[in-house]
Amino acid sequence: MNKTTFISSGFLFALLIVAAPLSGLAQSYITESGHVEFDSSVPLHSFTGVSDHLVGKITLTDSIVDFYVDVNTLKTGIGKRNNDMLRTLEAQKYPFAEFYGKIVSDFKPINDHPQEVTVEGEFTVHGVSKQTTITGTLKKTQEGIHVEASWTLNMKDYNIEPPGILFYRVSEKIDVSISATLPPN
Amino acid sequence: MRAQLKFYLVPVIILLFSMQCMAQMERERANIVEPVETFWTPTLISQATTEHLSAGNLNVTIMHSFGIATTNTIQNFFGLDNVQNVRLGLDYGITDKWTAGIGRSSLFNVVDFRTKYALVQQHTDGSKPISISIKADLGIVTQQNRQSFKDDLSTLTSAIISKKINKQVRLQLSPMYGYFSSVDTGDNNHLFSVGVGSQINLSERFAFMAEYYPVIGTQNPNTNNAFSLGLNIQTGGHVFQLFFASTRWHLEQYTIAQNREQFWAGDFRFGFNVNRIFGL
Repeated sequence: MNKTTFISSGFLFALLIVAAPLSGLAQSYITESGHVEFDSSVPLHSFTGVSDHLVGKITLTDSIVDFYVDVNTLKTGIGKRNNDMLRTLEAQKYPFAEFYGKIVSDFKPINDHPQEVTVEGEFTVHGVSKQTTITGTLKKTQEGIHVEASWTLNMKDYNIEPPGILFYRVSEKIDVSISATLPPN
Repeated sequence: MRAQLKFYLVPVIILLFSMQCMAQMERERANIVEPVETFWTPTLISQATTEHLSAGNLNVTIMHSFGIATTNTIQNFFGLDNVQNVRLGLDYGITDKWTAGIGRSSLFNVVDFRTKYALVQQHTDGSKPISISIKADLGIVTQQNRQSFKDDLSTLTSAIISKKINKQVRLQLSPMYGYFSSVDTGDNNHLFSVGVGSQINLSERFAFMAEYYPVIGTQNPNTNNAFSLGLNIQTGGHVFQLFFASTRWHLEQYTIAQNREQFWAGDFRFGFNVNRIFGL
């Protein structure tokens, strides 16, 4: 192998490797303004904590799904209750609720109908991580990818002590739902 | 040899870079600048605080005070047999900074209208180090008496200055002016005080609180500066306040005008407030 061939092959190899992540980047979608809701239903104390600060990234090349929200941005509509909720979640100590996992079912980005997908990964809140499987929908739109998903978490699983009200306690189940459109990165 | 090194080095660097691209996103805190929570309730024990209701929120309050706990203690079951004053109140957050409310006290059937406005709110980023609110209250005695309507009026005007010192301690000063349109002989129409209030958080659910009303200038005859000690209990949705107080009043102008008891001499009564906030 002469010197010129040697250098050319080196460049070709490097270009291939550069191209791979670049094509990966082209297929990643990111948002910082997704919508997330935490619903707790119990007589006299049903509340919905809502935030539009959900940060999310979906990379199609490796099927990685990465979402997080600063729980301090959750609002319930009642100032007092916001503080109650943040105390319960120990939001200063554990500021993030997050999911990091992989799409384990088929998703065809060329199809513009909502497609049911399953993701498996770790959901973390209150500093506790649990392996979770979530079913949701992904839809290719002109703006990017629209994702919708919901699941139920049990406060006990995440060492969250539900606040007591007089003679009964808040339901230990919380319904979580997310909705976001992720433009291509 | 150098060319060969480059041949290997370039892809390795790029490979590392591409791996970085696939890694988990770095978690970044949202930049939220908002008013700090100074106190747990818009009223400490009877002194207004700089805490405001969010717009569209309704606070329903029940304030209750009993008889002196140390007089005929067993017969009156620590004063609980003698309900002295009950104030039922509604306060509504017109905006996040402006609250208006109405209440009725069973003592003299005083109906009061009040409003509070936040001039400055201490912020989480430290850009505003204190909170300042102004408050006005108009009390009307509705109990049947021989007085004309204009003699049944009283007002309270105050500025409330507070600071969350640290995670546990909150302090508050409230220069206040009380006015009574008609008073008994020897009493003052005009009264001044600088209310002192404090809340010390013991945990996420419990906080200790105290308030003091030193009257500045001439005090009404046979009255004393009012003092109260209490415990805030925060539950989901409610704040309960259990307290021992010298005064039986839940209105500041009456507290500085009519408190006859001396707390530290043992003249204190048990009382409680219940706060429940609804989103409308």
